[in-house]
Amino acid sequence: MKRVLLLVMLLAGMTASAQDMVTQVRARLADVPLLRGGFEQKKTVSGFKKPLVSRGVFLLAREKGVLWDTQTPFASTLTLTRKSLSAQQGSGAAAYHLDASKEPGLAAVNEVMFALLSGDVAALSKRFRVEGALTGTEGWKLTLTPTDAGLARVFRVIQLEGDKYVRQVRLEEARGDMSVIQFDQLAQTPPPNEAEAQRLAK
Amino acid sequence: MRSKWAILWLLVVLAVGVHQVRFWLSARLDTDVLALLPEDEQAPEVGAATRKLADGASRELVLLVGAPDWEAAQRAADVAREALSRDASLLKPSALDASSFDTALELYRPYRDRLLTPAQREWLTRATADELGGTALMKLYQPAGPRLTNWEADPLGLWPDWWAARAAESTARPRDGRLWLSGEGREWVLLAFHSQVSAFALGADGHITRAVERAREAVTAAVPGSRVVAAGVPLYAESAASQASDEMSTIGTGSMLAVLLLVWLTFRSMRPIVMVGASLVIGCAVALSVTALVFDRVHLLTLVFGSSLVGVAEDYGFHYFASRQGKPPEERGSVMRGLLPGMVMALLTSVVAYLALGVAPFPGLRQMALFSAAGLVGAFLTVVCWFPHLDTGALPVTAFAQRFATSLARWPRFASTRTWWVGTAVLTLFTLGGLWRLKTRDDVRQLQGAPAHLIADQRELGRLLGLPSPAQFFLVGGQDDEQVLERETKLKARLDALVTDRKLAGYRAVSDWLPSAEQQRADARLSERAEAQAVAAVAVATGEAPTRASFAEGVLTPEQLLASPAAAAIRQQWLGMLGDQHFSIVMLRGLNDPSLLPHLADAAQGLEGVRWVDKTQEISGLLERYRKLMGGLIVLGYVAVLLLLVTRFKRQAWRAWLPTVVGTLFTLAVFGWVGEPLQLFSVLGLMLLLGMGVDYGIFMLEHPGDGSAWLAVALAGVSTLLSFGLLGLSATPALRSFGLTMLLGEVAIWLLTPCCRLPPGKDVS
Repeated sequence: MKRVLLLVMLLAGMTASAQDMVTQVRARLADVPLLRGGFEQKKTVSGFKKPLVSRGVFLLAREKGVLWDTQTPFASTLTLTRKSLSAQQGSGAAAYHLDASKEPGLAAVNEVMFALLSGDVAALSKRFRVEGALTGTEGWKLTLTPTDAGLARVFRVIQLEGDKYVRQVRLEEARGDMSVIQFDQLAQTPPPNEAEAQRLAK
Repeated sequence: MRSKWAILWLLVVLAVGVHQVRFWLSARLDTDVLALLPEDEQAPEVGAATRKLADGASRELVLLVGAPDWEAAQRAADVAREALSRDASLLKPSALDASSFDTALELYRPYRDRLLTPAQREWLTRATADELGGTALMKLYQPAGPRLTNWEADPLGLWPDWWAARAAESTARPRDGRLWLSGEGREWVLLAFHSQVSAFALGADGHITRAVERAREAVTAAVPGSRVVAAGVPLYAESAASQASDEMSTIGTGSMLAVLLLVWLTFRSMRPIVMVGASLVIGCAVALSVTALVFDRVHLLTLVFGSSLVGVAEDYGFHYFASRQGKPPEERGSVMRGLLPGMVMALLTSVVAYLALGVAPFPGLRQMALFSAAGLVGAFLTVVCWFPHLDTGALPVTAFAQRFATSLARWPRFASTRTWWVGTAVLTLFTLGGLWRLKTRDDVRQLQGAPAHLIADQRELGRLLGLPSPAQFFLVGGQDDEQVLERETKLKARLDALVTDRKLAGYRAVSDWLPSAEQQRADARLSERAEAQAVAAVAVATGEAPTRASFAEGVLTPEQLLASPAAAAIRQQWLGMLGDQHFSIVMLRGLNDPSLLPHLADAAQGLEGVRWVDKTQEISGLLERYRKLMGGLIVLGYVAVLLLLVTRFKRQAWRAWLPTVVGTLFTLAVFGWVGEPLQLFSVLGLMLLLGMGVDYGIFMLEHPGDGSAWLAVALAGVSTLLSFGLLGLSATPALRSFGLTMLLGEVAIWLLTPCCRLPPGKDVS
């Protein structure tokens, strides 16, 4: 369930936030039922001198779930749906699976995520203090500070940047680690292929 | 001689009076229903376990405040919290916040490496180096997640799963600084309060019940579609207390008034009213004092039951005044002397019958038995010692008494005629048919008089929260803490299989929070090896040199855990040393299907030191055992009473004995015909019928053809009827069944006794 939280935050950026600011940011964001693209993640972790860099592609299908597929430095897939969270290494060496029916928190997180996807701003501002600014003619920046004790245990602060789409997410974890994720080649097509649809149906 | 006894009794009554004043000032009244339940004779540790579970819960009030959406639920919870916190001397909110989680995290942190779930243990044992390394890498490269440690301290990300397994013991989850759960179409906030008053001291005023009702109204008014579910021992205690005090005043006052009215109708004089009233009051005071001295605390239900004592204790006064009526005052002494043999015998049979109630190991029943026996003796002594001294004036025969006394001559008497034999045959057929249809029931629920809405709320709350059952559990014993924890581990392995088969939602065991030292060491070795492989794989993949953090040298001990607030979750399940053994309780969640209970009993088979405890079944079994035992005792009692009667009445003894036998069988037959099952408490009623029913026969035999004896028997019968009939109104099923038995039996015996009286001109000698 845990890592899912991050994704939720990620997706948060793709929709909206609070008050007038939020309304304006929402106006600049495209309302998309489906989004796919590439990502590059730089993660700074204590115990490691250099940032850990990974690249891959992702697919977000509203009402269905998220596929997060890392391609380098090694292949692995992450699938998050309403019912479960599962991860698998491309080599087949490692895999794990969490069932929402056994882990009530996962169901809750999914619920929140889908609320976010459908543009439910109230849900987000209930868990975060949202501050932001518009940049240029199309851009915007948001800073999210958790107000919920459980979330504050995980994140110190989350920053989002984007225009029509979210372009960058910066996650500062409560324990000091930090990730910066850049998105590119964002597109609303093509629809999920058979393999993707199958994974989303899990 | 007689005045010496009168003075002696006066001194006793004065002492009782002083004691009564002190008793009512300190008010040691018990309202806890659990106090009525029997001890387990075979295993005192089971009783200790049940008490500990009950004590832990005795002050807790739990509420679920639900609304169609989370926003509304939070508003509703604020309204409820506000309403309940208004009186700080009544309820205090329990801490359910995140700070207690942080305390627990810090306590466990140095021992993280030896805290594994069964699934992790299994995985770490069989995972290859590739799989371990791959998992560590995957988790490392995944977008950040809620880790509880630095990466080096938990490279495989095991710890959050361990905590998730702990959290799974309840469905409630932290959300926006509250405890939240979702179910039955609503979002709920969990609120917990701690009663500032002990459940034992809660009176009949229902302060907490009213506070909950106020909160319920406020919430419903403020948030549409909201709902409040409340449960907790304080609510039960208050409900029991107010029910008992209501019944006590209905039954007690009702029968007292009825008796006094009867006395007035019969004697048309204040003196008998005052004196019979005094004998009742003194009888009750003596009863209460003796019970308080023996048991320290008196249960409210004892008082309810004791209220019916009034219906029996006035018999002695009736007999005296009925005999004395119309006689000159100087004959008082001889009247009393003439009555004494019959009265002593009647007292003996009644006291023996009452005390037989105390054979059953129900603390509540023992109290009631002692209370009633002491009360009867008190009333009896008041009549014998004081009445001849205080009753100095004339007491003319009233027209009512006269008419009634002469009615005896017209009462039908058994004779060897066709009509009587036909009647007997019909009665025999009716009785046999009823007895044939008689069923038994030994259901523990008859002890519960709690209102349905409280029980429904309790069930809903248990279902929503996934709370463990307090009535069924495993008791694990061992030579020391370590052995208890090891035995728990073996038991859990079997329970895990049941959980996998979905027969059980889960369990809550101390060893989940505190693995045995052996388990901790084994898990530490297991995670050290696996995590070393994972770290090495990550080092190769990233080209860096991360190191695995080091952990505490020793193991986490019970002392350490118990000294921490983190132990709150399991404290009531850790019994510590009882006798020469250490014990813990393993509780079960999701026990909704009674047909699964045998599977659980099987799970303990062959495990040393593990015992399956099913409180519900145990009490039902106890009820059944004692129903049979008391049934046997009644038969013996009838034989003994017959022998006693024969010593005095020789061949005529059957005349006092048979009506009670027939009355008892008739009562059972009616139960059979109407489908009222026979249970322990109706059997106890039959026991008392034996004690009281024979009294009537004794008086009729002692004073054959004496209209005044008949008058006294009639008065006694009617007043007993009234008092027990009112007991039939009790909301406690056990008391109601008892009252119905007495009611039916008394009517039958009372009607039959004169039919068996001696023919005119005949004497027992």
